[in-house]
Amino acid sequence: MTADTSHAAPPGGTLRPAPPGRGGGRADRAGRARRAGAAGTAVRTHAWFTPWLLVAPALLFLVVFNLWPSANTVFLAFTNVKVLSGGELVGLANFERMLTDRQLVVALTNSIVFMLLCLPFLLLAPLGLAILVEKKLPGIAFFRTVFYTPVVASAVVVALIWQWLLDDRGVINGLAQTLGVVAEPIPFLTDRWLVLISAASLTIWKGLGYYMVIYLSALGGVPRELHEAAAVDGANAWRRFWSVTVPGVRNTMFLVAVLITVSALRIFSELYILTDGTGGIGGQNVSVVMLIQMYARGFSGNLGYASALSLLLFVITLGPLLLIARINRRS
Amino acid sequence: MSSRKIRAAGAALAFGVAVSGCALSGTGGGEGAAGDAAQEVASGEVTGEVSLQTWALKPTFTDYVQGVIDGFEEEYPGTEVTWLDQPGDGYSEKVLSQAAAGELPDVTNLPPDFALPLAREGQLMELTAVDDELEATYVAGGLEAYRYRGIEGTYGYPWYLTTDVNYWNTDMLEAGGLDADALPTDLDGLLEQARTMKEESGEYLMSRTPGLGDFAAMGVEILDEDGTEFTFNTPEAAALLDVYRDAYAEKLLPKDVLTDTYLGNSQLFTEGKVAWSTGGGNFIDGVIESNPSLDGKIVPSEAFGTPPMYVQGVSVSANTENPAAAVALARWVTNAANQEAFSQEVPGIFPSTLESQENPDFTESDGTPQGDAKVLAFTSLAGAEVLQPVEVTEAMATVVKQQIAAAVAGDVTSAEALDVAVEECNKLLADQ
Repeated sequence: MTADTSHAAPPGGTLRPAPPGRGGGRADRAGRARRAGAAGTAVRTHAWFTPWLLVAPALLFLVVFNLWPSANTVFLAFTNVKVLSGGELVGLANFERMLTDRQLVVALTNSIVFMLLCLPFLLLAPLGLAILVEKKLPGIAFFRTVFYTPVVASAVVVALIWQWLLDDRGVINGLAQTLGVVAEPIPFLTDRWLVLISAASLTIWKGLGYYMVIYLSALGGVPRELHEAAAVDGANAWRRFWSVTVPGVRNTMFLVAVLITVSALRIFSELYILTDGTGGIGGQNVSVVMLIQMYARGFSGNLGYASALSLLLFVITLGPLLLIARINRRS
Repeated sequence: MSSRKIRAAGAALAFGVAVSGCALSGTGGGEGAAGDAAQEVASGEVTGEVSLQTWALKPTFTDYVQGVIDGFEEEYPGTEVTWLDQPGDGYSEKVLSQAAAGELPDVTNLPPDFALPLAREGQLMELTAVDDELEATYVAGGLEAYRYRGIEGTYGYPWYLTTDVNYWNTDMLEAGGLDADALPTDLDGLLEQARTMKEESGEYLMSRTPGLGDFAAMGVEILDEDGTEFTFNTPEAAALLDVYRDAYAEKLLPKDVLTDTYLGNSQLFTEGKVAWSTGGGNFIDGVIESNPSLDGKIVPSEAFGTPPMYVQGVSVSANTENPAAAVALARWVTNAANQEAFSQEVPGIFPSTLESQENPDFTESDGTPQGDAKVLAFTSLAGAEVLQPVEVTEAMATVVKQQIAAAVAGDVTSAEALDVAVEECNKLLADQ
């Protein structure tokens, strides 16, 4: 049977060709080939595996570097595997251990506090920057570049620079003491909460440019006519921001919020460098990823427990990811 | 169930089996090979190919190592040594991946803590079975470093030894109202002088927190004899932490000493910001290279209490295909002549061979502070011990450091901090 799309229109009346591999079949392909041949154009048919061959490199990469390690991590979470000695299945023992792991409670608290510190700033400040640099003014490209530069810098290098700025003998404490603002150095790198605030400040500074670029592209999608109409109606800049700009970029704000949340929960480099890899005094500044690194590293690394922690982190970050999926469906 | 679902389930099962097969298998070890190796070493001819792996010796010591290799090939005609030198960073990971893949070189430079997990898994040759000259050749402390709780035998040839001595900045001492001829000899004296210096010049004499080595140096048992439980949460250890906590509260230590790594102390000494540091026998050269203004202003003295012993050694793979040549090469690299030549190249390291202990090159100073430091370090080795058990992993060290910092900061009591540290370390130990 030869498919005839003119008789296969859906109730809505839109004509749509059948998707590849569906609604056609061999007779359909043969019919199309005959028609093409009649028009004088040769159509080559391919073996069934040709598409698989084309996607094979990407598929192989995905399986080897993504799916396999992920599946292996899930499996390892239920074992007590060590790098050298192998191991055995231990059921839920690794997850039971989490319930009594005092460092995990500290790490989860730190990750959540860090996320709450970063979220409002990284959600709103880049939007403000994007609105500023969106205007077509002479030299505006320079400012865009300047704001984006910290994104390109290595997180480790940036954290080291901030460490030099913030430590007891650093620039900030030196300046504050010279000016008489403080008598004693501010314990930016020794007080539990100040370490978190320092790490959040670093992350915010480094992330501004990245989220600014995302907002810039969203702002380009807000119709200029709406701003003009609002201005004609007497709305001032502030009112236009809340009534035109914010609704126009609302979905992007959701996206940015989710990206910030996920990356904040997975914080590592900033806290690791600022605390010299120790996790702070009493281990009060460890993050979940630092715990995973601590358990997995070295000759005696406990891959089973480290994998269970990875799985926990994955489940925690799954919430925001599901949220973004829902937002995407809506939009 | 549809055929499609059955296929999917089958694929998932096969995948799971494949994953479990890969994930749960160990490295296999080489116990059988080790047994055969003893016989092969005893009766085998030293010939053929053999590999040697060193740790970050190129390019600085290329000539020295190549000379040792050339000498071996000349001594044993028919042998051919392949030299692999690994970069300094990531060496443990490199060795780990080699061991996991069963591709450990025949002879590998492994410090005792790297060798322990490999010995546990039967990856290293047990040397007392193949070499009855160990005790007659090497100092006891060096061999002891490669003998582990719960495992029979010796798993490395000690290569070279180092220890720490004290170093003092005489300019800072003078400015702080202190006398370089009346240096402190214990912790109490150190604290007293630190207080004097703080009052006189406002500078810091000391910048460090204690560690497991300090507990061990004062006689605290860190790990029980079986190697199954940590035991350093004692009143003596808590008392030491209390001393440091009070010194910290009195501002005799810089505030960020609690987050700095140990290198922080020597770095501050090099910068002329603290007057006391510990370091190896050639510490002065490194300091002067970085800060020439300190030339002639540093004097050494003996370490407080029991000096620490740091050991580097070479181990032989249990899976070597050429045991006779591998053992011969390990012995050659660590023989007295080669070790003494290496110690001449690197003034701060010392040979682990018994016949080198009377060598005047190490026992007589040329009168310079560098020469004095070298002799002090060498003579200290006679009473030095490996203070921190090699069973202490990086994760355990991190936990201990965290809790000691909390105690010194006064966030928790010293006893509480030690109890938490012991509990967490025991959990990590149970994982092994």
